[in-house]
Amino acid sequence: MNITFRASGRGEGLLRAPFARIVAMALTLICISAPALAHNVTPGDAGYVQEVFGVNLIPFAYLGAKHMMTGYDHILFLLGVIFFLYKMKDVAIYVTLFAIGHSVTMISGVYFNIQMSAYIIDAIIGLSVVYKALDNMGYYQKWFGFQPNTKVATLVFGLFHGFGLATKIQEYQIAEDGLLPNLLAFNVGVEIGQILALAAILIAMGYWRRTASFMKYAFAANAAMVVAGLLLAADHMSHYFGLLG
Amino acid sequence: MLNAPQPKPEDLPTPAQLRRSTLIAVIVAAVIGVTVVLPAEYAIDPTGLGGPTGLQEMGEIKQQLQREADEDDHHSDASQETHSLANAVFGLLIGTAHAQSVDASTEWTDEAVFTLAPGEGYEIKLTMTEGAVAEFEWIAEGGRINYDLHAHAGGKDARYKRGRGAKRDSGAFTAEFDGDHGWFFRNRDKQPVTVTLRVRGDYSEIKRDL
Repeated sequence: MNITFRASGRGEGLLRAPFARIVAMALTLICISAPALAHNVTPGDAGYVQEVFGVNLIPFAYLGAKHMMTGYDHILFLLGVIFFLYKMKDVAIYVTLFAIGHSVTMISGVYFNIQMSAYIIDAIIGLSVVYKALDNMGYYQKWFGFQPNTKVATLVFGLFHGFGLATKIQEYQIAEDGLLPNLLAFNVGVEIGQILALAAILIAMGYWRRTASFMKYAFAANAAMVVAGLLLAADHMSHYFGLLG
Repeated sequence: MLNAPQPKPEDLPTPAQLRRSTLIAVIVAAVIGVTVVLPAEYAIDPTGLGGPTGLQEMGEIKQQLQREADEDDHHSDASQETHSLANAVFGLLIGTAHAQSVDASTEWTDEAVFTLAPGEGYEIKLTMTEGAVAEFEWIAEGGRINYDLHAHAGGKDARYKRGRGAKRDSGAFTAEFDGDHGWFFRNRDKQPVTVTLRVRGDYSEIKRDL
């Protein structure tokens, strides 16, 4: 690193300083034990996003895939959706509906900078898990006497999951320079992550479905998803109301 | 009372198909782990694919930020409680950019010129008392630069202005409290960037912070 300090203008600047101050300054320059770095470092993925500018397609695709694969609320919903689907055609239809839903709101939410409470959106996402698990348990037919359209539900909850993704991206503060390409790359990454997560889920479910325990414990598994979804929703709502700070 | 009938065994994947899928999944996971996750998270790039994809750069930046955050934690114990304060003092007195021309340098008191390699950072501070005003302008040559104009002192924390991929900036700021106020510059461009910073105003000292 090349550094030159020079006084300019009326012959002042660093040279105007008395000798003692120059010595003090030299010591400061030399001393590594100076005050902390202290420029408010944000580590991790958010730190990376806050520092880069311009088009970075593959890194943003990676971040999208990572977000999807490590986002247990999205994974739980996906698990609920395909719980009783084993024909690849059905899986493809429902997963595509979910993908269309969350892509629309994710991209438009960020691009038009729609401001939402991340806690409320995440609470709704938690409730989407509850909804789908209750659907799998057959409660809507029991309570209401009819089956609500499962495709419409998948699409509509997909829209909410997309708003959830949008709030996360807004927290990232992507640079204006390269925003749209990076955003689209993030979305492609979300879909790749979804396909990878789905593949793992389908393989695990494939083994389970072949055993007698599948039908025996399917009800219990969906009941557990209801509980998990309610916990997620309650957690986010308590944050929203400031109960947990 | 489940919402689906018992799946027919002939519709389900056979054990042989499941074994094959599992094997493929394990191989794909290993390939992704080595070619994507290692460079993107740990800046380790055994295959050399991390360079052209930009994932290695992401890993390096994240590792660098993590090291700096750890050092910060190590050095300043007061930083935690000042965090919320930083947000509270957001509405600040930032002079608007006057777009002063650079060759008005005869009027500036101090000038610092430094060249930063990609990834390198530089912190330079003015020692000011509360309410003091400093004017500044800087230009970046050779590339674009990220900057953060801020202050920390005695448990207080101020954020005046920040930006990334910038070529120049100018204006004035009023010190919120006694202490060191100034810039953290970081080169996130692909080539070396030379920054010329000029300042004048009510400060007692200009110094480089390490």
